[in-house]
Order: sequence, then structure tokens, then C-alpha cells
Amino acid sequence: MENFLVKIAFFLYRSKWYNQTKKFFYDYLENKENPSKHYVDLFFIFLILFSVFDLVYSVKNKTPHWIVIVDYYLITTIFILEYILRLWVHGNTHHIIIKEYEKSKFLQIDFSSKDTIKNILLEKWQYIKSPIAIIDLVAIIPLYREIRVIRIFKLTRYIRSVKQFLDVLKSKYFELVTLAILLLFVIGVSGISMYIIEGNTNSKINSLLDAFYWALITATTVGYGDISPVSDMGKIVSMITAVVGLIIIAFGTSLMVSAFFEKLGEIKDNRIIEDINKVDNFVIICGYGQMTKMLLREDNFNSKYIIIEKNSDVAKQGIKDGYNIIVDDASKHNVLEKFKNSYSKISLICLGNDDIENIYITLNAKSISKEIKVVARASSSMMEKKFKIAGADNVIIPNIAANTMLLTAINNPIMYSAMHSLLAGKNAAYLDEIRVFGYDNIVDKKIGNIAFKEHKLLLIGLKRGDEFIFNPSKDMILNSDDILLVMGLKISIEYFNKTIQGSLS
Amino acid sequence: MSLQKKVWMFGYSQESKMIAASLRDGNFAINIVESNEKNANDALLDGFKNTALIDVTNDDELEPLGIKTSDYIICVMDDEHLNVFLTLSLRSMCPKNEIISISHSIYATQKLKMAGASKVIDLYQVSANRIHSIFKKPIATKVLDSFISTSYEISFGEFTVSKGSCLDGVILENFDFSQFNIILIGVLDWELGDEFIFATTNIAHKLDADDIIVCIGNNNDLQEFEKKLRMSSK
Repeated sequence: MENFLVKIAFFLYRSKWYNQTKKFFYDYLENKENPSKHYVDLFFIFLILFSVFDLVYSVKNKTPHWIVIVDYYLITTIFILEYILRLWVHGNTHHIIIKEYEKSKFLQIDFSSKDTIKNILLEKWQYIKSPIAIIDLVAIIPLYREIRVIRIFKLTRYIRSVKQFLDVLKSKYFELVTLAILLLFVIGVSGISMYIIEGNTNSKINSLLDAFYWALITATTVGYGDISPVSDMGKIVSMITAVVGLIIIAFGTSLMVSAFFEKLGEIKDNRIIEDINKVDNFVIICGYGQMTKMLLREDNFNSKYIIIEKNSDVAKQGIKDGYNIIVDDASKHNVLEKFKNSYSKISLICLGNDDIENIYITLNAKSISKEIKVVARASSSMMEKKFKIAGADNVIIPNIAANTMLLTAINNPIMYSAMHSLLAGKNAAYLDEIRVFGYDNIVDKKIGNIAFKEHKLLLIGLKRGDEFIFNPSKDMILNSDDILLVMGLKISIEYFNKTIQGSLS
Repeated sequence: MSLQKKVWMFGYSQESKMIAASLRDGNFAINIVESNEKNANDALLDGFKNTALIDVTNDDELEPLGIKTSDYIICVMDDEHLNVFLTLSLRSMCPKNEIISISHSIYATQKLKMAGASKVIDLYQVSANRIHSIFKKPIATKVLDSFISTSYEISFGEFTVSKGSCLDGVILENFDFSQFNIILIGVLDWELGDEFIFATTNIAHKLDADDIIVCIGNNNDLQEFEKKLRMSSK
């Protein structure tokens, strides 16, 4: 038995097919970062709504036989499969066996299959006992038609607001349980009192259940009026129950409202993070200031960006200005780790004023993943080296540009106009890159024969492979995959691009 | 007689220290003017002997500084509002001087221009454009970097057309700059006004003496071109 378990575990551990299959199902059922999971979610939402619609429709109408078959057999089968797959992808059974086996080898004790199986079951139990798994389980029991209405609760898995509401309630678990116990106590005492006082005189109170029902309806201030006290003593109990009930309900309501207010910012931030993590290529900007505003004005990265600002007042202003901004400290490991994502290409731009903090954020990002591209702002060229050591891919030093431009403005005022326009990407000095594709009509043509001048463009250079050729010769023949660096008005560049693609005559 | 250009730098903050240092390296006679005692002391400690501590909002204190028409004025006050106000005060006092202001915000740039700054260096606009290039145009980034840093080979060159030189009387379109391996970026043709005209606008220019052309190229090629230009004018 022991050997068999261990053999199976090692076989599964080594099996590429098994691990890939498990990852595939995990990605589509549980991995929130997988952008394609969305389609699976939509499919399940459709099934749930279809099933509930059938249930509602069949109350007053006769549903076609095929719908009953689809709902009763097909959807139930899919839900059973879903439940089994979710249970399977929760944790790694073979890892537990291997861990236990290695532990026994190391300690030179006998491998206990009993303990191992217990650990496996405990891990699976963690999933089985979760509220959403219980709903899943109940939803697949088709014995009772009415119980299938439970399926609508399966939507909680897919509707973020419901999940967030449950999370908020969870954060006030202790307070809410205390209140619930208090409410139960009040209902218990009132119900029993009412049953003793009016059990024989009130025709509407025939059982203890009737008394508890009355107590709950009174305490929650619903007051249907179907059961009401008939004696003076009963009326006194009613009054006390209503007042105490009102206090408890008011307390509970304020508790939930305050919990929501406390969590509102976090909920909003988490939503922004969840949304951005679904994008395949996004930018994290650390710090909200003039430079960030200017950058987003220049290029808003197709809205695929998120700003992290630690000062809540500054962040509020950013939200007012209409930017995607969250309040947090990007120098904290757990903050940037929220963006750790195997599906997305992430770039991080540190635009804060403080070099020390920018270096720390750079290191933080690189410690999470070397793949994160970091562009950092530095105050001086002395700092540039430190940023490079920290792993920054590019360093921006605004002051160096200012110095060069200032000296140019004084020494060569005419040149300054050209330089400023080029550096700021203004006027007719917009620099852009044009990639030459195989189907473009300039491939295999000599540079001298290409109508740059007619398009009011200047060819500055050409990149072929890893080599940049400044001012290439007129006899040079363009190849596919060459990149042209041209200068001109944006519209000229766009028009030229269309012309070479043949979309314009 | 000193040939040093005199620069009045208003403001000596953490950010503008670097600018002052590079101006000193550029052999300018620098006068620092500050309204903050700590900053003024910093300037003195950093070796800027000609440092004045005055209330820059008061014209009566600005006038005795003795700014001459040929002097350059740089406004780099930390406070954006004060920087705009100072630019305005200096423009009213020195109508012919070259005033260069450094803008730290999107909205200040326009205000500084309206206040009379001859040139506004829009620090963040340049940086934003550079970050945009890093993401979208890596090749352009290298070329832009080369304009800022001295460690790259490609840079700008400004040349004044002298009488009788090979460029005097030439129609720009007919002149082949590629023989010198440089690219003409634009021209300041006094006949057409004092606006810099980019080569990309394709207007036929006839160059005359004193017109100024701006080219980019490798430093060696630019120097070579300058030498030929000088020799042809002799």
C-alpha cells in the first residue's frame, strides 16, 4: 500500500501530461489572473440562469421536454464535473504524499499511509467546507426540484459585488456573531414568554414555532400583523421585544455600513488591480505628480496603466482628475506582489521625487520578477549608476535635460528651438519609427527613390538588425524588417505609413 | 576685459544646484539671487561668491542688482507662483534681456510665456516624451539621448552662413548635406522672420549671409563641415 501510494505520487509528479492537464483546469476554473477564464465564467453563468429560468417558468407553465432533459441531466452533469474538477485542482495530493515520504526517509521512520491519507483528506476538506463549495454541492443534488433554486447562489462565485459583500461581513465576523446570538436570545426569551402567556388564549399561537415566528417578526420590526398579542401581559412583552429588537437591528445595520465604509477604498483598489491584472501588457506608475500627469497626457498607454500613490489626499486629487489610481505604498513587497502575473508583461515607472524611495521601489519590483521593466526618475547623474545597479532598465534625469537645454539656450539660441522641439516631440520635429514590412511598397527600393521629401519627412537613420545607421546612403536598398527613424509632422508620418502600406494611392 | 557671459540665476534650490554647477563649468559668471536665507547660504557654501539675499517680490530690491541688457536671466524659483511673478517683474524691468524660465508643471509653462519668458524649459514635457519614447520608440530614444548626453556621438550643430561661403546664396533644396554625412534640421532665415523653420516644412529657402542653419550628425562630421564652411568663406 505504502509503496503503491509513493509510486503513484512520483509518477504523477513526473508526468508532464498530468501536470499540464491539472494546470489547464486550474487556469480555467480558479486562476483569476487568466484572462480566458472569463469565458468559462460566462458559460457557467449562462447555465445557472438557464436552470433557474426553467425552474421559474415551470411554476405556472409546462416546460418543453428537451429543456427538462437539458436542465435535469446535462446541466447537473456539468455541475457535478465542475465540482469534481474544482476539488481535484484544490491542492496537490501527490505533493503531500511525496512530502510525507521524504519526511519519513529523513527521520528514518516508517512511512505512514494513514497519516498521509488523513492529511490529503484534511486538505480536500478545507475546500469541501467552504461556503461556495457547499452551495456547489447542494446545487448538484437534483432530487428535490425546489432545492435547485440554490443554483442561483452559485452566481456568488462570479459576481464580484456579492463576494465583496461576503468579505465585508467576514471582516466583522465576531461582532455579527455576537449580535446574532443576542438576537436569538431575545427571540428565544420573547417567544417562550409569549407561548406561556398566550399559548392558551391566543388562537393564532398554536405552537412554540408560532411564538418564535411572532417574536422574530416583531423584533425585526417587520410586523406582518398576522399574529398579535391579545392580553395586557402579551402587549408588554411585544413592546419590550420591539424596542430591544430595534436596538439590535440598528446596531447591526450601522456595523455593516461602517464595515463597508472602512473597506470601500480597499474594494475599489482591489477591483482596479483585478482589472489591470487581466490585461496582457500594462504599466504601473509609482507616484502621482506633475510628471505623471504630463506622461499620461503624452501617452495614456491605452488606459492600460495603474498609478500607486501613498498619500491619500494626493490620490484623491488623482481620482478627481480621472486617473486609475490606488492608495498604497509601492515600496512594500506585498503591494507590488499583487501584480505578479504570469500572463502579463509589466512595466513600472518610478516618478517620485525621492531617489532613495525610487531605488527601493526598483529593487522591490526586480525582487518580485526580473521580467518587470523598470524606468526610474533620478535627481542627478550620480544617482544613475545606483539605479542601474538596482536593476533599472532606463533612468530619466530631468535635470540633465534641463542643463543641456539651458546651456544650449544661452550658447546656441537657434539650435535650442530645434532641440526643444525634438526633445519635447513638438511641431514639425516629431521623431517616429516606421517598421518596414515585407508587403510594403518600399521594400527592395533604394532610399534615394523613396518619397520622404514629398511627404515632408526627414530620414534620420535606419536600424537593420542590431545596427543603427545614421543618415543612410541614398543607394542603400530597404529590406523587410528594417526600421526607419523619421522626423516630421505626426500627420505626415501617418500619411507616409499608409502610403507605403498601399492603403492610399 | 572679461568675455564671460553673465548669468543671473534666481533661485538656488536642491534641483537648481545642478544647473548652477553646470553653468559654472560652462565658464559663465554666475550671480545667484535668493529670497530664502538657507538657500542663499547653501549657494555661498557651494562657492558662489556673488550671491544676493533679497526679497525678489520687491522691485526696489531687484533694481539695484544692476542687470545689464546683455546678461542672461534664469528663473528657477522653487515656488511656481513666485517664479511666474518674478519672470513678470524682471520682464517689466529688463524688456530686452533673454529670460529663461524652468517650468515644473503643465500649467506654469503657458503662464511663464505670458509673463514674458523668452524661453521656457518644460522639464516634465521633455521627460514625459522620453518615457513615451522608451516604451514606443526605442531607436528614437537613443537618438534623443544622444542630444542630451555628451557620451553619444550624434549631436546638434549650429552654423552661421558667412558672406561668400559655400552656403551664401544657395537654395537649400539644391544643397546636398549628405556629402558631409550630416542632416539639415532647420534654418533661421532672417528674410522670413526670426522663427526657426524646420526642414520638414519643405519651403524653398535661399540662404543669405547671417542666416543660421542647424544640423545633426556625428561630432566629427559636424566639425568637418564647420571647417569647410569657414574655409570656403576665406
